Amino acid sequence: MKASTVRRVGGRLASLFASLLIALSLAFVLGRLSGDPTTTILGPMAPPEQRAALRHELGLDLPLVVQYLDYLKGVLTGDLGQSLQFYQSNTSMIADRLPYTLQLVAAGMSLALLVGVPLGVLAATREGTRWDRAASTLALLGQSVPVFWFGMMLVVLFAVKLGWLPAGQSGTPKHLVLPALTMSVYPMAHIARLTRASMSEALAEPYIDSARARGIAGWRIVWRHAFKNAMMPILTIVVLQTGILLSGAVAVEYVYSWPGLGQLALQAIQFRDFPLVQAIVVFGALVFVLLNLLVDLVHSIVDPRVR
Amino acid sequence: MSELLTVSGLTVTARLAADDLRLLDAVDLELRAGQIIGVVGESGSGKTTLARAVVGLLERNVRVDQGAITLAGQTVVAPGVDRTDRIRGSAVGMVFQDASRSLNPLMKVRTQLAEVLRRHVRDITRAEVERRSVEVLAQMRITDPTRVLDSYPHQLSGGLRQRAAIGLAVVTRPALVIADECTTALDVTTQTKVVELFRTLVDELGIGLLFVTHDLMLASDLCDRIAVMSRGRVVEHGDADQVLEQPQQEYTRRLLAAIPSWS
Repeated sequence: MKASTVRRVGGRLASLFASLLIALSLAFVLGRLSGDPTTTILGPMAPPEQRAALRHELGLDLPLVVQYLDYLKGVLTGDLGQSLQFYQSNTSMIADRLPYTLQLVAAGMSLALLVGVPLGVLAATREGTRWDRAASTLALLGQSVPVFWFGMMLVVLFAVKLGWLPAGQSGTPKHLVLPALTMSVYPMAHIARLTRASMSEALAEPYIDSARARGIAGWRIVWRHAFKNAMMPILTIVVLQTGILLSGAVAVEYVYSWPGLGQLALQAIQFRDFPLVQAIVVFGALVFVLLNLLVDLVHSIVDPRVR
Repeated sequence: MSELLTVSGLTVTARLAADDLRLLDAVDLELRAGQIIGVVGESGSGKTTLARAVVGLLERNVRVDQGAITLAGQTVVAPGVDRTDRIRGSAVGMVFQDASRSLNPLMKVRTQLAEVLRRHVRDITRAEVERRSVEVLAQMRITDPTRVLDSYPHQLSGGLRQRAAIGLAVVTRPALVIADECTTALDVTTQTKVVELFRTLVDELGIGLLFVTHDLMLASDLCDRIAVMSRGRVVEHGDADQVLEQPQQEYTRRLLAAIPSWS
């Protein structure tokens, strides 16, 4: 491996580590600013001695620096503390809920990609035509519609009126259809708009004219020459959207009573279960950092100029 | 010898929001096999539009209103007619201005050469693709063809990149090559080498070369004939020596006078 590559990879890893440390520290500070958890657990009328005993049990009477170091040590060993509400390990609760969110995100993002990318490519290859206008309008609409409203409308139509699909809960593939569709709308629109912009730019590059002049035509130009060059910004957005959704698609999971991380986060916030909120934030930050690393990796595979 | 390329009365117009803009106005031009014609003129004179019209790479809002382009006696462009897809990359190869941008940055030179060969040579084997790729790069005076084949465009010097781009244009052995300002982005030494390479290719392969440039000195070094363009028209057309030494038109005289000299 070249020295410059080692330097670049080292620099990137250091910056990702720094981002993670900042996110972890913010999660810790915000948790401490969210009020006294003993009030939530024991109620406002609890005697001070009982409160002090609980504070001692939770380690809240230790100096802040010690608490912070304990917290970092926990993160490193996979121990994200215990929920004040469920009296369970936060790590195991996240692990229990994660498969549901993963299912939903995988289905939603697949749908968003399968529709968003072709829609954007269609608009870019037919720039200025009615296809372009229709695709752009659809994308704009997708980004403007509030997710929870769209979800409720789908429930009204497909669950209440037509009775084709269940309105909520999980278990069968049928249960996944409406939540995945709802979840896909915003990223789909975002991907479509970005694909259009990125493809328009790539299609105007001289290497496209040059390939055309060599007799290369049709979809080979679009996918092999233009799309491959246009895909990095699209991939970045896909990965970032996946990160956002993985760390809790609150609105969608709430509308469909989907037992994923979003629901768990909502319950934790409502109960002021700060160790659990903190654990979910930490998990989200970890996911983001890992996904960013993945983007860098894919970028270096796709584009030889950044190797 | 019969004409390889004939452009007769070619009039091309761009449809703009406000008004129509005439880009080429009754352009006439002939080129024989084994001959080099230099199309010279200032920026915006219509040189590139003419070159792109031959391979059907005009913008969507640009149309051929009158005239025709024929290649080896076959009409390929006329009002309402565009048969350039039959000649692009096979009978006509094109080299663009800046090879760092005209080669796909994500594809190795080998892949780009293989793609064009597979597109135009039916049932070509992998071994034949390799053989012809190495052969064409050697023809471009590239001393280490295998290294260049295995390189991405950004890993090559400007001169090597442009030679690879010329190789891509001639690997299918076209009858006509169009070079659109293809030496502009190069330093003077590399420019000279590329010009020498073109001369050798024309002499060895007997191709016709349409050499678009704004550099009159370069055109005088390389071209057999010169067409001077201004505002979409060919204002003067003839043997290179005659056009450069005894210009008939005031515009050509002004172009020649604008060439910087040591004195």
